[in-house]
Formats: sequence, C-alpha cells, structure tokens
Amino acid sequence: MNARRYGAAGTWLVAGLSGFCIAAMLCLFGLLASAGLAPFWPAAVEQLQLRDGRSLLGEIVAADSAGMTDALAIRTSEREHMGGAYQRVRLDDIAARSQPVDVIMLTLVDGRRLYGRRSAEGEEVLLAAAVAPAAVLEILQPNALGLAARCGVFASRLAHFLATPPAASNLIGGVLPALLGTLTLVLLMSLIVMPFGIATAIYLHRRRGLAARCVRIAINQLAGVPSIVYGVIGLGLFVHGLGGGIDRLFYADRLPVPTFGGGGLLWAALTLALLTLPVVVVSVEEGLARIPTSLREGSLALGATHDEALWTLLLPAARPALLTGLILAVARAAGAVAPLMLVGVVKLAPALPVDGVFPYLHPSREFMHLGFTIYDAALASADAIRGVPRAYACAGLLVGVVIVLNLTAILLRNRLRDRYRALET
Amino acid sequence: MSGNPATYASVFSADFVRASARARRRRERVVAAFVGVCTAIVLLGLLAIPLFLLFGLNPATRLPPETWVRFQVLLAGTLRAGACGVLVAVPLGIATAMFTAHFCAPGLRTWIKPALEILEAVPTVVLGLIAAATLAPWLKTHVASVLALIVIIPLMLLAAGMAFGTRVRNEGWLPLWLLPLLIAAVALVVALAARQPTSAIVPASPWNAALVGLALGVAGIPIVFSLSEDALFLVPRAHTDAAFALGATRWQALTTVLLPAAGSGLVAAGLLGFSRCLGETMIVLMASGNTPIGGFDPLSGLRSISAELALGMPEASPASDAWRGLLLAALLLLLLTLCVSALADALRERLRRRLHAAAHAA
Repeated sequence: MNARRYGAAGTWLVAGLSGFCIAAMLCLFGLLASAGLAPFWPAAVEQLQLRDGRSLLGEIVAADSAGMTDALAIRTSEREHMGGAYQRVRLDDIAARSQPVDVIMLTLVDGRRLYGRRSAEGEEVLLAAAVAPAAVLEILQPNALGLAARCGVFASRLAHFLATPPAASNLIGGVLPALLGTLTLVLLMSLIVMPFGIATAIYLHRRRGLAARCVRIAINQLAGVPSIVYGVIGLGLFVHGLGGGIDRLFYADRLPVPTFGGGGLLWAALTLALLTLPVVVVSVEEGLARIPTSLREGSLALGATHDEALWTLLLPAARPALLTGLILAVARAAGAVAPLMLVGVVKLAPALPVDGVFPYLHPSREFMHLGFTIYDAALASADAIRGVPRAYACAGLLVGVVIVLNLTAILLRNRLRDRYRALET
Repeated sequence: MSGNPATYASVFSADFVRASARARRRRERVVAAFVGVCTAIVLLGLLAIPLFLLFGLNPATRLPPETWVRFQVLLAGTLRAGACGVLVAVPLGIATAMFTAHFCAPGLRTWIKPALEILEAVPTVVLGLIAAATLAPWLKTHVASVLALIVIIPLMLLAAGMAFGTRVRNEGWLPLWLLPLLIAAVALVVALAARQPTSAIVPASPWNAALVGLALGVAGIPIVFSLSEDALFLVPRAHTDAAFALGATRWQALTTVLLPAAGSGLVAAGLLGFSRCLGETMIVLMASGNTPIGGFDPLSGLRSISAELALGMPEASPASDAWRGLLLAALLLLLLTLCVSALADALRERLRRRLHAAAHAA
C-alpha cells in the first residue's frame, strides 16, 4: 500500500511539473498576444485631480511598472518634444480620477501626443494654435468611442504599423523596412541554402564512404555551434575576407569607403545559410530515406539512370520533406538575431534593400530587421515608455510569422507521414 | 508517336539510342559532379569555422595579460548563466518528458509535443525582451517568493499525491487537473509577499544571473524535453510490459525499468541543454546587465562570452589586439560547446547501442 502511495506522489510531482510547463507556455503566449496588440488599442485618457489643486490630463502609462506600487506615471501633453511630459504621481496625492468624455487626443507626425478638453476653451485654442493641420496624424475622442469605433482605430493603427517606415529614431511609425529587410534576408538565405542543402543531402543519401561520414559528423556538430560564432565567422570571413577582397579588386577607386567590405544583406544571408544548413540537410535526408527502396529499384530496373530516378521520382516524392526543411530553416533564420548584429543589421537603414532602381536588389546595403528592432527598442531607445510597447508589438509580429511557418511545417510533416504509410502498405 | 514515319524511324535507330545513352550518361556525370562540388563547398564552409578562428589568432604576437584576467570573468559569467538555465530547464524538461512518454493520455500528447516544438521556435530575442522588460522589475521585489515557490510547489504536489493520488485511476490528463492547484499556490505566495513591507532578499542588480537563468530555462525546456522523450521512447515496450506483468505500478515501471535504461540519454539531454544555454546570446545580452562580475552569486549581474562577442566585435578593427582577443573568446566558446555536446553525443550513442543489443537479445 505504501509503495502505491509513494508512486502516486511521484506521479503527481511529475504531472504537476508538466502542468507548470504548460502553464508557463500559456502565460508566455498570452503575454505576447496581449502586450503585442495593446499598443494599437486606443487607451482611455484620464483626468487626475490632485490634492494641491493641480489637474493633469493624459494617458496612464503602465509600461514602467518598475516596482511602483504607491505611484503611477502619466503622460500629459507633449508640447515641447516627444517623451518630455511624463509625470510621476503618488497615489496619496490624487483626490479624484475621471475619464471625461469630451477629451480630444491628437497624435502628431513627429510622434508627440496632445490632450485637450473640448469644453475648456483655453486648451482648445492651444491645440488649434500649436498644430498645423498637415502635422496631425490622428485625431481622436478616445473616451467617447464605442467598441466598433475602437476596433476601427485598432485596425487603422495596425495597418499604419505594418505599412509605413519608422520615424523619430525608430520610436514611432511603422516597421515596414524592418519587415521588408527580414523577408528579403530570409528569401535570399533560402535561395542560397536550398541548392547546397539538397545537394549535400543527396550526397549523404547515396554515399556511405569515409568522406560521407566526415560530412555527416561535421553537419551534426555544426548544429550545436552557438549562433554568435556564426556571426564571428560571417564578419571575419565574409565581410572582411570576401567583401574586402571584392572591394580591392573591383571598387578600388571608392576605397576606403567600403562597398562590399562592410556589413550587408548578402553577407548576412550567407551567414544565415551556414547557420540553417544542418536543418535543411537533416530534414531532406530524412525525407529521402523514408522513400521505399522498391520505388527507386523499380525505376532503375526500367532503365532509368540514377540521375533520372532522382529527378523524376525521388525528389518529387520527397517534395514535402524539402518544403519542411525550407520552412524550418526560414523559421530558424527569422529568429536569429545575434549573428546579424555582426554582419550588417542597423537601427535605421538609409535605404531599403529592394527598390525600383536597377538592379532592384542591393546585396551590399545595410538593412533593418524585426528581431534587432525588438532589441533596440527595448534597451537602447531614449523613451523607454514608448520603446517597450513598440518592442512588444514587433515581438508579437515576429512570433506570429514564426508560429505560422512552424505550424505549416508540422502539418506538412504529418501529411507526409500519412502519405508514406500509404506507400508502404 | 505522331504518324510521321521519319521521326518514328529516327527514334528507334541504333544511332539515336546510342547518342541518347551517351547524353544520358553525360548528364548523370554532370549531376554527380554538381552534387560532389556542392558538398565539397559545404564541407569547406563547415571546416572554415574552426580553421578561421585558429588562424585568425596569429600566435606570433602575444596577447596582453589583462586579456586573460578578463577571460576568466567572462568564462565564469558564461558558466554561471548556463548553470542557472540548466537548473530551470532540466527538472521541468525531464519531468515533462517522463510524463509525456509514460503517463500521458494520447489526446494530451498530440497537443503537448507540437506546443513545445513551437516554444522551441520562439526567437530568443523575444524571451530576452520578456525577461528584461517584464520579468526583471517583478523579480527585483519577488526573489523570496520565487525561492518559496521552488520549495512549496514540489512539496505540495508530493503531499497532494500522497493524500489523494491513490484515488485517481486515470492520470493521463493530470497536469490539466493540477493547473488550478498550481495557480492557487502561486497566487497565495505572491499575495503573502505583497503584504510584507520590504522584500526579504534584494538582488544586487535587477538584471542578474537568476533572471537570465529563468529565460534561458524557458528556451532550454523544449530541447531537454524532446531529447529525453526520444531517449525514453527508445526503451523497448517489452521492457515496461514485463514490469507491468510482474505487478509493477506505472511509477515503479518508470523508476525501476525506464529510467535506468534511458539514464544516459537523459544525462545527454541535460548536457545538450547546457551546451545550448552556454552559447545563447540574445537572452544574456538583454537580461544580464552585461557587467563583467566574477564569482558565483546568482543575484548579481554577469557578462558572458557571447555577449562580449556581440557587443565588442562590430567595434574592433581587424588584426588589433581587441580583435584577436575576441577571436580567442569565440574559439573558447566553440570548444566549450563542442566538448559538452560531443560528450552528450557519445552518451546517446552508447544508449542507442545498448538498447539495440537489448532489443535483439529479447
């Protein structure tokens, strides 16, 4: 009886710790979803009546909850410059809090927010005087909005976030260049890694000799190398070695200003290709190994060469595995930030890596990246109360992209399994 | 075949067949050469990593002695962060793997595994953001509550299992039933802590090794989980079935058959998790404060080798002393992670061989 009791206790411990993992995961994704979307939701504007007679109108910013249990931070009208009107108010000093319906909130193009009440004439005049109509980005009466109107504001802010370039040293505006940079980088990386990955997988699938064993060991060990080491290699070998060499050969007239000898899209893509190579090789080789040998032997018996069997039979049959490898590689590359910090990601790039000017894709340009924007907005921005929510918005976007890619890979893999189970029977 | 007699004849003439066979053979050779060349380039790229680091050092000139002092601090920081991460990842990851492999209802398993795979894909910069922006201010005042939770939760689970465990027939969905209990425990401890005017333990800095460890642990859980689950699944079903036939409970089958058989695999999983924690950059960069402090205090800041590389490398000019110092640091990090993961690989290989032999003997 005692043995059963101890067994049950152990089982509950193990089950409880698993439950803890599940709960932590739910918390993580819940936090990302809520904190990632919260910046777009029109928050209420509050009026604080203080005991000393002053009255403050503005948004309560919860972002710096840094141990403040007895005070709150409020952003009042930023008349001078962005980030210059935060005030700390002790809870004991507040006489009354209200959310007046007639509050108007203006967001200017330079990022400043102004609050005023329609009824109080002085404020109204101030608003009209301070603001030229062209400089206004958004004008809202946030406390009077109904649910549908709030959703409308939410959608338009989200669209603005996705489709415009950033402003004010990356604190406001959208993330279009970062999104484009991430996508271009990942696309270029896929174009480089797929041929090499597939060729290596085919080689490993066909050969069993010493060379193949060496390649296999190298690939396996490569998977465990820290990503920052890839960044070091990318910087030393690609940027300084290859890029510097190209500059000396072809762009000698422009030296010492580097053309390819500085960080850039191409070198970042090469670095990420090296980083994701093991993922592609392993998944493609697994896909090739899953194809029943009878299929290949049948095609060889009908007179096909190895190469014809490969093109017409094996690769088409392994197509889902190729796709899985690609998707996993893309997901891994989209999340790798550390190596990029060494090979050309920047806080604000002067130009997009893709544009309408020949040759359309500019592989030597520095670029922006969603992951780096998260790091930069969270830690290196001048206005942390704006920076952290912005970092969370970028994080939500990035995680959303990565999750969609991974779910696709998982679904594909399951379909693939079913298909081969059908082939084998 | 269209009706044209000339085409018909040419397709079947001996010359055409010979020519097309020659073309086919040539194509085959070209493809084989392409595959070989691509693989050679890949191998070259892979070998370039250690070779570049070794040759870039240029051992002819010596590094200044303070570089070595700095290395000790960085190495200590890396190991401290890695150890904190493993302390979180290993218990949770292995417990989840044990549950999923041995107790779990199939319906729950089809959800847990993909969910953890997705957790593995979450970029570490996002975990770093959560640690630095949300967790750090909270942890600054709640170190004592976290310590209390680490003690209370396992004890509470054990006690509850002792008291009610024998009445539960089907433990397949137990984690979900235990969620309210866990939430209640956490809420209770946090509420009790909020009533204290000052927190009992104040960390030296809000960004410290414990915080890094929590975030690294979350990043490491999926790796430890999937590797240990693989190891547990490698043990043949016949072994556990035999244990059940001899009257063992599920728990006894786990502790007397599964764990001894898969033990080296579990150790390997822990080691690989450790290796991943050692090389992780973004979390350490964002949540550690990046202050080069030695020692073993989990509540003070640190600076790891990877953070040093990420911060110092873009500024260092090639062939300077700083550059070579950083290359040496990168080599050190590479060797450290490779040694740990090679050890883990050897353990896994041993497990696979032994279980293979056992399956054939059975």
